[in-house]
Amino acid sequence: MKRNLLATTMLGALALQFALPASQAAADPETGGTLRILGTAEVDRFDTVPPATAVTGNFFRAVQRQLVSFKASDDPDEQIQPFGDLATDIPTPTDDGLTYTFTLRDGANWDAPDGARQITSADVARGFKRMCNPSLPSPSISFFDGLIEGVTEFCEGFADIEPTPEAMKEYIEGNDIAGIETPSDDTVIFRLTEAANDFIYLLTLVPASPAPIEVLDYQPDSPDYRENYIASGPYTVESYVPDSVVHLVRNPAWEAESDPLRNAYVDEIDVIAGVQADAAMQQLQSGDGDMLYDIPVPPVTVQMLNMQGDDKISAVAQGSSKMVWINTVSDNNDGALRNLKVREALAYAIDRAAVVQQFGGEEFASPLHGIMPAGVVGHHEFNLFPTPDDKGDPEKAKALLAEAGYPDGLTLKMPFRNLGSDPAVAQVIQAAFQEAGFTIELIPTPASDFYARLITNFENAQNGVWDLVPSGWSPDWPGGAARSIYTPQYTYDGTHGTFNFSDYNNPEATELAEQALVTTDLEESRELWEQVDEMVTADVPTIPLVSLQTVMYHGEDVENFLPYAAGGQGDWTNVWLDR
Amino acid sequence: MSDVVQRGSFELTLRRVLSDRAGMLSLAFIVVLALFAIGADAIAYLVGHSPVEQFRDTGLTPQGLPVPPSPEFLMGTDQLGRDVLVRLAYGARVSLLIGVIASLLAACIGVTVGVLAGYFGGWVDVVLGRLMDFVMSIPVLLCMLSLVSVFGTSIPLSVSVIVFFSWTIMGRVIRGQVMSLREREFVMASRTLGAGHLSIMVIDILPNLSVPIIIYTTMMIPTSIIFESTLSFLGLGIVPPAPSWGGMLSEAANNSIYMFAWWLILFPSVILLLTTLSFNILGDTLRDALDPKANFRPVKMRWRIWPKRSRSKGDAK
Repeated sequence: MKRNLLATTMLGALALQFALPASQAAADPETGGTLRILGTAEVDRFDTVPPATAVTGNFFRAVQRQLVSFKASDDPDEQIQPFGDLATDIPTPTDDGLTYTFTLRDGANWDAPDGARQITSADVARGFKRMCNPSLPSPSISFFDGLIEGVTEFCEGFADIEPTPEAMKEYIEGNDIAGIETPSDDTVIFRLTEAANDFIYLLTLVPASPAPIEVLDYQPDSPDYRENYIASGPYTVESYVPDSVVHLVRNPAWEAESDPLRNAYVDEIDVIAGVQADAAMQQLQSGDGDMLYDIPVPPVTVQMLNMQGDDKISAVAQGSSKMVWINTVSDNNDGALRNLKVREALAYAIDRAAVVQQFGGEEFASPLHGIMPAGVVGHHEFNLFPTPDDKGDPEKAKALLAEAGYPDGLTLKMPFRNLGSDPAVAQVIQAAFQEAGFTIELIPTPASDFYARLITNFENAQNGVWDLVPSGWSPDWPGGAARSIYTPQYTYDGTHGTFNFSDYNNPEATELAEQALVTTDLEESRELWEQVDEMVTADVPTIPLVSLQTVMYHGEDVENFLPYAAGGQGDWTNVWLDR
Repeated sequence: MSDVVQRGSFELTLRRVLSDRAGMLSLAFIVVLALFAIGADAIAYLVGHSPVEQFRDTGLTPQGLPVPPSPEFLMGTDQLGRDVLVRLAYGARVSLLIGVIASLLAACIGVTVGVLAGYFGGWVDVVLGRLMDFVMSIPVLLCMLSLVSVFGTSIPLSVSVIVFFSWTIMGRVIRGQVMSLREREFVMASRTLGAGHLSIMVIDILPNLSVPIIIYTTMMIPTSIIFESTLSFLGLGIVPPAPSWGGMLSEAANNSIYMFAWWLILFPSVILLLTTLSFNILGDTLRDALDPKANFRPVKMRWRIWPKRSRSKGDAK
């Protein structure tokens, strides 16, 4: 058991002292065994640079370390509390919030080809430099571009480099990012162009992991890279059979004393691909599998297991939400949806109680009345369009619709993704809107086309291919993630955002959001985000439906199953097996 | 000593049909099914549930699970709290309508192409024969999926897709029959008397094809029904919330809900099974009755098979 003194910037100027509790004291930890993780798709990325989904985040938790990470915990507040991983602690920014100085932990090693080697500040800087390589750029670079001094210039220079390992290595080793300084091997200083109180959270992203010099000899995430894998976490990749299994074994270079977040009880981990949801759930129930990889627990199974009182089912908030986007750029119905009254009618018509029911009940989904979901800074209880029991108010909606000049209702096209519970949810939404006088034409869309071809293509919005579209969003990191919800979805600066489906923009709200990001007073930041939430919600660009919890389930043999919030799953590096 | 009774061809056929117990059972089921489909509105009225109404208070448990068969919902409810019985009845409409319409259309095309190819032979036969080969060689499901994702789902598209992939078997059978018929004496007689091609095809040959046409059309109905169910199962057929059997099965399979709610799988699949079985048995019965001495067995109606090329010598000329 360790005690760790933490000064956190995220909860105000308070320096909080945390005693890391020993992992659930119910049973003594057991070491050894092979943890079997079941998934449909395989682990798609081994390299830290390319986009990492939350699901892949669980894999990286086991094999790579970041400066800052999260603790596996049952406590919803502790889950989203940043902890020093490679960093000895979370620094308080100096220089009006512009400078962050980290000290690296002694004994945190690379599993380098010539034996264990200490992770240094140069490795941290190299990790950032690799993000904008011209061969396989990381979308996460957009968070740092313009935030850390010199990233923009570094990336612009990198863009002209030939995407060969030799040329890229030469550029990375020959150039520095001005705002990342490495005065000594164990100190790294970040200089920001503007204060950003969520910077610590950005450092928890997998693409912000450090990189050893050896990886520069290969193309990012190439077969060579995978073959010569260099881990920093407690496990490393021993073998990999494409579309079948990734086999992890203990990393000999990892030292337990250097890692406060991972206990690494199991000896080996198999991530098995190609298992369908039903089969996976059955294997978990029979004990043939231990945990799930990319398979969401089907809502019906949640309902069933709940009914049976199964205590192996639990939930973690990752800030996911579901909403209905409204198309305000098309000329369908003579631009009726541009009329705020019509959108308000939709907001009154929606039956959130029924949507919650479809997602497995209150424990796994809660009605959402703003753009900030539960578990994210800025979320608070308010309801601009209250309806009895959240079941919708068709009468009020009808009245608003008539007031707007559509007493006979409106016909709206609503494509939906033909996958999982989406068809059921779409029909629930349809029923609620129909009751309020809207006629909703459902258009089933293959899952592979839905986001890629239909929704993110702005022309479809302009041409009125859709009027309403049920959609979902998860922030890139848990906790202080308001930026990750607001910026991509609700801001428009003249170029069409991929995820702002109908060019929504509210300059006033955006100004408040900028203030919220800059202020060092986190209480003020929270209040500002709450204002942003209410301002945007009043414009009704979307109709928020529910905040979703990520549902987790595990096999009988798994003990100490504690959620790792960034992965939305139990932490592989903290469970033990009791077979 | 009983009298010798003279029986007409129709009467003989009818007697053969009536004496086939399996066939009669199938026919009875089909009649009941048709009544079920026609009376869907009446059923909805009697139980007081529309096929798309969601009974979230009575039709779902507090956890949001469907409720099993009960006096209120005779066949239980689905995941949205809708009455399965009423949805089955409306689904029967879709299935029967698509099955019958698609089969009739496919039969028309198949007969036309088959007669033309068989009667004229030569290059007409070569062109039409290759066309049939071509259609048969298309991977049905893949082609269908792409068509539907390009044009969007609708009943007319479903019917067209089914027809497009169904007419070839009929075409081949008819072509074979016509090739032997055209050499027969009565055709030569007509020709000698100066009858035109059209007249020979329609007046002389077509009536002789009534037996295979009736049999194959009957047997095409269940295939079309299955085809439509497949489309709906894949979410490419009938647009929800309108009910169809395939769509109901798909919703039951979604999210593993069938592991809890057996009634969502049992009722639609049993009715689908009995329907296809009935039409197939009825087809068999009709074949036995209409053509008792025939030794041809219908080409097995299956998708994605490549039937053996049956080239007669005359064909090779």
